[in-house]
Amino acid sequence: MPGVLIVEDDKELREMLKMSLIRRNFTVIEAENGKDAITHFKPFITDLVVTDLIMPEEDGLKVVIKLRELKPSIKIIAISGGGKVGPGSYLNLAKALGADAIYSKPFSINDLIAKIEQLLDNEQHN
Amino acid sequence: MKRKLEISDGNDYLKYLTKEKDIADQIINHSRSMITIINREYIYEKVNSTFCNAHQVVLDTILGKSMGDVWGHDTFQNIIKRNVDICFSGKTVQYEATFYTPQSGKRHFEVVFRPLSIEPGKITHLLAETFDIDDLKTSKQAVIEKEEELRKFESNLPIGFLRCDPTGKILHANQAFLMIADCHDDMLVNSMNLKSFYLEEELFDLQIEQLTESHTKNFGRVSLKNCSGKEVPCRISGFLALNGSGAPAYIDFAVEDCSRELMLENRLLQAQKLETIGSLAGGIAHDFNNILATISGYSEMLQEDLPKNSDLSDKVSKILGAVKKAQSITNQILTFSRHVEQEKVLINVSEVLKETIGFVKSSIPSNIVLKSRIPKMSANVLADPTQLFRVFLNLMTNAIQAMEEEGGTLSVNIAVVEKEFVQHELNKDIVADEYVLLTFKDTGEGMEPSLIGRIFEPFFTTREVGKGTGLGLSVIHGIITEMEGEILVSSKKQEGSVFLVYLPVSKSYSIINEKKNSSRKKILFITGNKYESRILSLALESAGYELVFISDGRNFVKVMTNVRERPDMVIYMIDSKQITPEDLVGIFRSQKILTPCILITDPTQEISDEKLLNSGIISQQLTKPVSLKEIRNAIQELLR
Repeated sequence: MPGVLIVEDDKELREMLKMSLIRRNFTVIEAENGKDAITHFKPFITDLVVTDLIMPEEDGLKVVIKLRELKPSIKIIAISGGGKVGPGSYLNLAKALGADAIYSKPFSINDLIAKIEQLLDNEQHN
Repeated sequence: MKRKLEISDGNDYLKYLTKEKDIADQIINHSRSMITIINREYIYEKVNSTFCNAHQVVLDTILGKSMGDVWGHDTFQNIIKRNVDICFSGKTVQYEATFYTPQSGKRHFEVVFRPLSIEPGKITHLLAETFDIDDLKTSKQAVIEKEEELRKFESNLPIGFLRCDPTGKILHANQAFLMIADCHDDMLVNSMNLKSFYLEEELFDLQIEQLTESHTKNFGRVSLKNCSGKEVPCRISGFLALNGSGAPAYIDFAVEDCSRELMLENRLLQAQKLETIGSLAGGIAHDFNNILATISGYSEMLQEDLPKNSDLSDKVSKILGAVKKAQSITNQILTFSRHVEQEKVLINVSEVLKETIGFVKSSIPSNIVLKSRIPKMSANVLADPTQLFRVFLNLMTNAIQAMEEEGGTLSVNIAVVEKEFVQHELNKDIVADEYVLLTFKDTGEGMEPSLIGRIFEPFFTTREVGKGTGLGLSVIHGIITEMEGEILVSSKKQEGSVFLVYLPVSKSYSIINEKKNSSRKKILFITGNKYESRILSLALESAGYELVFISDGRNFVKVMTNVRERPDMVIYMIDSKQITPEDLVGIFRSQKILTPCILITDPTQEISDEKLLNSGIISQQLTKPVSLKEIRNAIQELLR
């Protein structure tokens, strides 16, 4: 089954994401901040990453840049509860840096999973 | 000591007379004045040496000459003659004039003519004394000029200046003080004691005591109340002068009106406070969004696990509804704290204002008059029109609520002002050459001064608990600040409030013009409220889309069945009365239409959207208030 890495510092939210993905038979890998995600990144078993943006240690933007570098084919979804860098929002910045989709919190988990499936589906077809 | 006169014969007497005449001549000739005797024919009969010297002539040549010969005939006719004639009528004449003498050129003289009677009972001559007062005059003039200059300086000074007696009674006050006192009768002010302007009279006594000790002192800010009863914050310093015997002679006070300074200080403080609350609230909202995401995620999973339309599933729906509500609050907080990116387009403020006024007018209570003058003007700003609409709507709704019970007038105005005006009014960094100034004035209940400073804080509300979240004005503040504009308020209890909104005019080229080409995507709008949807359409047109409005069912069928006319997208607002959700689903199904459709729901209205959502024709659902960014993202996503 495709592997999804969840990078989220909020434990409850991470648990929820994990449970919802396991229900759909995804393999789930967790990281509680950006630094963790980058240092323990396993490119061979990770097909998609769902990352929060504002986190302690390395933030999500770094995750987007670094993981894209480590595995160019990886699919990235950024999620955020708001916040701005300069005139633009973190989410838009993440998109500009290469995230395939962005969601602002709170989001519909069904929408998110549909998106994950769609992104991985396209991957298989390609 | 008296001289003793010893005269034995006529010879002695003659000698004595000659000697006396010599002395008199000496005195007369050594006088610094020109002394002359003139007869009725204006001829000089006697002159002293000072006169001869002044005219650089010897005595013999001047005697028998007329005054006209000596001073010039014009000068004689114009100045001298009438004074001489008055003197011959029996009066002593004194006047000042400028004359030319060969010795010293043009100088200023004082002239005295005294009538003389050499034959008894008849004025036969006059005695003329002419003093050179040129130096005196010059120094006198200098003093007058200096005084005038000082007076001007003192009256032009923007600082109030007062001289008081040692008890504080005002002896003299300058123009600036009269302005502060709001009293234009300086006689009145000059009869008052400075103490009577003090809000706390004991403070004045204390300051006089301090001055007696240290003579000069800066008292800092003191509140005065002026003649019209208004409190004026002033900065006061005093100087006590002593007389020769060391007792207090008078006290000088400098009184500077610092209300503007205080106002700006307060405003800065306010802005800093809002900034702090903003980052705090922004942080909390961010954490809350995480929690809400967890709640909604589990709820959605739960809903999946539960049988559809079951009692438990309904309860989960309620949880999801509550999450949506909470999300709208966190969104508002994020807007206030400017953690949300606004998508901006070039938009004419007056158009948005006009639509908002139309919207408000349709539901205004009958006891409230809405007066507005919106001239056709180009007042383009960079903004999200949906947010501008929110700002205007909120300000007008607040004004109407403030007048709900008593009724009143809401005046709305718009004008373009120069940056200099804004600079003076706001004292902040100016980002544009011109600003749009919007005024929202009501005659409602007004606010206590203590509340005015707090109204832009989030969760601050004057309404009873449960009515409104208290986020409205804080959100407005966030939106306007994000646009580099400013919102100001002034209010008086029982008189009403005025909100001023300044928005920088943008000189960028309109995006509309650039995108006016055939590849524009056509969007069909189905809506009940024309004003609100017009705002969205303003936004979308600025963003380069072509908008078509449909309000009745027949037209809708016509447009949708004609392949040429068929739009690229449909936006359906749930409040549409003419085309019901059933109509929409019906047409989509019967015509097998695959056009993407965005549904906009209104959380405040209890219209069921379930059928529509389950019909499969809705590609995306948005909840009011919809920002330009949201709807554009949705459209872009669907039209990709």
